[in-house]
Amino acid sequence: MPVTRRTVLALPVLAAPAILGAREAFAAPSAVKIGAVYPLTGPMASAGDSSRAGIELLIDLINTPHPELAPIPLMAEAGLPRLGGAKVEIVYTDGQNSPAVAQSDALRLITQDHVVALNGAYQSGNTLTASAVAERYGIPFVNGESVAANLTERGYKWFFRTTPIGPDIAALYLDFLASVGKTGVKVAKVAVVHDTSEYGVSVANTIKQVAASRQTPIAMDVSYTVSTSDVSAQVLKLKQAAPDAVIFISYTSDAILYMKTMQAQGYKPPILIGDDSGFSDPSFIKAVGNLSQGVLDRSAFDGSKPGSNAAKIDALYRKKTGRALDDTTGRSMTGMLVLCDAIDRAGSTEPEKIRAALSATNLTPAQLFMGYKGVKFDAKGQNVLASALMVQLDGTDYRSVWPAAQAAAKLVLPFKGWS
Amino acid sequence: MILVQLVTDGLLVGAVYALLSSGLTLIWGMMNVVNFAHGDFVMLAMYVAFIAVTTLAIGPALFVPLAALVLFGVGVVVYYALIRNVMRGPMLAQILSTFGLGLVLRYAMFWVFSANFVSLPDTLVGGVLSVDGLRLQYSRLLAGVVALLLTAALHLMLTRTALGSRLLAVAEDRTAAMLVGIRPDPMQALAWGIGAACAGVAGALIALFFYISPLVGDSLVLIAFVTVCLGGFGSVPGALFAGLAIGVIESLSSWFIGAAWKDVVVYGLFLLALWVRPQGLLGKS
Amino acid sequence: MKKRHLLFVVLGILVLAWPLVLHGVFIQHVAALLVLAAISASAWNIVGGYGGQVSIGHAMFFGAGAYGALAAYTDFGWPPVAGVPLGIIAALLIAVLVGLPTFRLQGHYFSMATIAAVELLRILLSNVSVLGASVGLMGPARPRGLADLSFRSPVPYYYLFLAVLALLLVVTAWMERSRLGFYLRAIRGGERGARSLGVPVVRTKLIALMISAGFTALAGGLYALMVGFIDPESGFGLLISVKMVIIAALGGAGTLWGPLVGAAILIPLEESTNALFGGSGTGATYVVYGAIIVLISRFLPGGIAELVQLLSVKARRRAA
Repeated sequence: MPVTRRTVLALPVLAAPAILGAREAFAAPSAVKIGAVYPLTGPMASAGDSSRAGIELLIDLINTPHPELAPIPLMAEAGLPRLGGAKVEIVYTDGQNSPAVAQSDALRLITQDHVVALNGAYQSGNTLTASAVAERYGIPFVNGESVAANLTERGYKWFFRTTPIGPDIAALYLDFLASVGKTGVKVAKVAVVHDTSEYGVSVANTIKQVAASRQTPIAMDVSYTVSTSDVSAQVLKLKQAAPDAVIFISYTSDAILYMKTMQAQGYKPPILIGDDSGFSDPSFIKAVGNLSQGVLDRSAFDGSKPGSNAAKIDALYRKKTGRALDDTTGRSMTGMLVLCDAIDRAGSTEPEKIRAALSATNLTPAQLFMGYKGVKFDAKGQNVLASALMVQLDGTDYRSVWPAAQAAAKLVLPFKGWS
Repeated sequence: MILVQLVTDGLLVGAVYALLSSGLTLIWGMMNVVNFAHGDFVMLAMYVAFIAVTTLAIGPALFVPLAALVLFGVGVVVYYALIRNVMRGPMLAQILSTFGLGLVLRYAMFWVFSANFVSLPDTLVGGVLSVDGLRLQYSRLLAGVVALLLTAALHLMLTRTALGSRLLAVAEDRTAAMLVGIRPDPMQALAWGIGAACAGVAGALIALFFYISPLVGDSLVLIAFVTVCLGGFGSVPGALFAGLAIGVIESLSSWFIGAAWKDVVVYGLFLLALWVRPQGLLGKS
Repeated sequence: MKKRHLLFVVLGILVLAWPLVLHGVFIQHVAALLVLAAISASAWNIVGGYGGQVSIGHAMFFGAGAYGALAAYTDFGWPPVAGVPLGIIAALLIAVLVGLPTFRLQGHYFSMATIAAVELLRILLSNVSVLGASVGLMGPARPRGLADLSFRSPVPYYYLFLAVLALLLVVTAWMERSRLGFYLRAIRGGERGARSLGVPVVRTKLIALMISAGFTALAGGLYALMVGFIDPESGFGLLISVKMVIIAALGGAGTLWGPLVGAAILIPLEESTNALFGGSGTGATYVVYGAIIVLISRFLPGGIAELVQLLSVKARRRAA
């Protein structure tokens, strides 16, 4: 057939049924559709993009047999065994940086794509509106990463959260500092540096409250606005006050800026802790890892123990994306894994059965690749076994250093920074 | 001592704001066009620097002019392809078109480079100048010096050269300029080119000590708008003066009141300044 | 003229009846969003379009309305709708406070001042804990009764928003013909000239801004009812203000129907680009969305209203 304008025009028309048919063939037997809402554009896109890549990997592992990952649920066989090997299909949507868009997304996923359950949505505000839609329609919603306390205080029947939240995080830091203090390191004066976003404020406030209740109040509180253009004055303030430990609660952009400015001002706190988020972001390590040697980070993910579930998943993720798996992505993946596992145990895609299976979830640490003590939901839908570790940056990798039982490397103090 | 360091830091940040604003004020003053895509021009320049460093392994002495050149081209193309027609319409059309253009540029880069943050190696212009306990980053000093030179050069070009008088003539009265034989289109395209090239210089220099991401323009552009307005639209020295003032105010208010409030102080003082001088600090009434 | 009336009647019936015929929940939701966007853009249009005072800070009124609704629920346990009047009163106060000192500013200076004012409010708000600070405020987790106006179906919202839009259009149409409308257009034409004609410039601007602020706050309150959550970014964010300007400018600022046409184009465009490309994670959503905005401004700098004008001139020529 000679290529003329007419044939070119005819091509899409001829191809259309083929494409549609092919889609039909893929979706035909019994694919289980799950909706995922993540920020794929806007200021949080860097994190949303990683979560999406992680979930893609996870679903690929679920849909194909991977006996080598056997302790993790759904890995050994292809698809969901109790649903006749049905494949899982994820419909991704972009919640942007807007609770209204996340609401629209959830509505579209439920009413147009007919998903059986929802997962997401990173920012607490987005999770709040998207899960409210799920609640109205009676569709299970599993969240793996939002920390706002009010999410599980709404009395919702269909909302489940696997991530550790404010009080867990605060306890981790204070326990860690107390245990380091016992070894003779000075930890009397602790500073908290946080942005004024919902994330920064809620984590910082919880740390301050818990610290005050333990009679070890936080000595210094420095707040700033997200994506600020300069942080020199804040660093100068820290340098002047010389706290024994500094906890940064920052997104990636600001975390990078702080490290660059600290180097410029020649300031190294003896203990530097980054609260997950910005400090976990692989692009943080790429951009300023060489200035941040020995930075401590709150994380539930540690891929540094050879042969562990975490190390295997980390290797697969690196192969897929070329970067290390970070904590936030791992938490999102865990949320999705728990959801898929519940659908499988329900043996059905009926929302009520999935909900019942979620409520009955009881996963052990051996079945997970995150350092949680397990997954088990309370009546409010919060995972009561969620926990985190302290990891430390060495070269280009974070290694777990505390608690000692789970440590893969030795804690090195003081903060080394740059050379 | 702290105070000296704070003021110096503030001045250096202020120089960055001035650098960011020079191109914006030129376009704004010359053609009365608000360029909402200015932050994205700066972002493009940062990526030019990034690509140049990672693929060609060249230093700032080369990639700064390269970024200026690339952005000059972008500015001219944008003028002929878009702005020339948009200027026929009301001022709102400028907001519409430059805002849309900004989105396209931002998310085109997003498409290519993904949302990840990148950064130039800190060894390019590394090191810190230490005088009496006062610490100044060389990369920021370089940006500060270039900001001063660029402002001076733009000012001299506008006030002392034939090209400058032609540019100003077109800005003043398009028809009258045509009557004396100046073709307005090439002049205005040139103004856009120069304005964008200034954004190019700014972006390439800021990349030395800032992170780079497709959305980085967002965190830089608002303060540039305030700087330009405070200085008086179209006043190049005004932008320098306003930039330095804002930098110092930010630095001092971060220290004395708290970093979370520095923007409140800046915007509050800005509104107050406009109330007293509705045409900006150095603007013509 | 008769034919035109008939067209309006048919259009009106279509707008009122279609949700009863079509049952796609998502389409109904988009329609409700569309009407909501039309309300805020039309409200902006009063001062920004007719008066030519290009405010890029109207989110300050939108946010005030939304916060009024949800603060009444959070702090007093009222149904959110009962808080909407509080939000409107707050918006009117802000309008006076911001309007009086900034009205002497011309052109871009006024626009920049409104941006600074809304940013100032946004940052202040992130630090006020009774208003939820940066965590934001949420509505009733589940409706306690009909008064909470919390519905699963978008259709009740659609009709509620439509009623408000109709009211706003009536007010705007009345204003177009009233002395206020003439004054406003005179001010847009040139403030000095208007003053020499005896137009009370400051008073006119203030009245227009207050009408505009009141309706924008109402739109914010309605948004809060439907979305059930507000935080400083989604209430006072720069994008919220810019969107109102874009919608009005796209359809044709300073015309009665312009903002409606703008909303009818932009909201479905936004939703469909997000639905089609959002999941891809490439940012294609905004490349397409931005490109369409650029193309419209490139070829129709006066908005779609310009196209309508062009077409009707052509039609008249053909008829003659």
